[in-house]
Amino acid sequence: MYIETKNKSPLPRICIVSSGMESDLETSPLISLLKHLPEMTPCMVQIREKHLDAKHLYTLCCEAKELDLPSGTLLLLNERTDIASAAEIDGVHLPESGCSPEKMRTFAPGLIYGRSVHSMESARIAEDSGADFLFFGPVFDTPSKRKYGNPQGLEKLEKLCNTTALPVYAIGGVNPENAGSCRKRGAFGMAALSLFHDIPGLARTIEHLYRIWQY
Amino acid sequence: MAILKLALPFLCVITDEGLCPVTTARKALEGGASMIQLRNKTASCSQLLSWGCEIRELCRMHGALFIMNDRIDVALASSADGVHLGQLDIPVKAARKMLGGKLIIGVSASSPAEALQAQQDGADYIGFGHIFPTSSKEKSYAPVGTEMLEKTASILSIPLIAIGGIDAGNASSVISAGASGIAVISAVTRADSPAEAANNLVRILKYRE
Repeated sequence: MYIETKNKSPLPRICIVSSGMESDLETSPLISLLKHLPEMTPCMVQIREKHLDAKHLYTLCCEAKELDLPSGTLLLLNERTDIASAAEIDGVHLPESGCSPEKMRTFAPGLIYGRSVHSMESARIAEDSGADFLFFGPVFDTPSKRKYGNPQGLEKLEKLCNTTALPVYAIGGVNPENAGSCRKRGAFGMAALSLFHDIPGLARTIEHLYRIWQY
Repeated sequence: MAILKLALPFLCVITDEGLCPVTTARKALEGGASMIQLRNKTASCSQLLSWGCEIRELCRMHGALFIMNDRIDVALASSADGVHLGQLDIPVKAARKMLGGKLIIGVSASSPAEALQAQQDGADYIGFGHIFPTSSKEKSYAPVGTEMLEKTASILSIPLIAIGGIDAGNASSVISAGASGIAVISAVTRADSPAEAANNLVRILKYRE
């Protein structure tokens, strides 16, 4: 009765988080971004548009899924397992305060489950509760996260990567200049928002990052 | 459909964002409510799930139904009896496809066309309103009134629950117009004694005083 993920591709190293600026479906920044993804460098794309109602999110997920995306692209939705499952996209990214992936798997077993963590303790909880990967941050200074205090830094990123068996994506101020150091500290990949908002430069940015992250 | 097992007409109490939903549910069930809907648009998923599991247990003890508003994931994870979808929630057709026959699906409608569409898309009941002026939710349109309620109930084959400004003074009029039940927020949650207020409404529904 429930949906098995058709897309069994490995996790991409690069995750693009959507702008949070969706309003009209006709002029959707997400759809425009997806149409400009380079062909040979699959990314994970997290749809994170907290201000939208469930109907709008569902429609956005369905439209995104209908596009002819590069092979290996994974589409994830922030927080709403039910919408991700109903729209038959690849997965869901749960906030630190979200429900456990284990609980969600009882009715949506085919989805990929990511989870944001901000401490060793919540990384352990996330791993125990069946998450497939973690976001850890903010690793570097980033304007949107200043209200939560100092960035976590590379030391903590390394410590976290050493304590969990799960792939860890570094998030928060990660860019082509510092991505290599995140990789050296054990990060599996990176996630970012504004880095990917320049559509004309998108392919070049992704290809540049790919050279840093692909082994 | 599980909902049809309820003795008609019945009382549904919807939780109030500003009050503890578990306390509201407990009081409403003590007073004889047959359905509790957990509605909270701001709480985290884990908070909703924790409330949902407690309310589900209370409902089972009282032989009542537990309906989760908007969040199908929370409904499934908390073993709710159903989910209630508004016009801006996951489309009914998609929800029904995802759920099969697993949960009761209730849908909010404010016109006969919306109600019929929801029924066609797989709804098990319609929450129809707002019937009277209400302060519980900011509304962008005028109350639909009992005539529209009567018209809508007459063309539906699934139960219609009247919502919006319903209290002890007008409850029997919406039942006479064809509603299978009533849904209230403030008439119970903001009463001096929510249990007594619920019980009073249940008696009115039963005896049509």
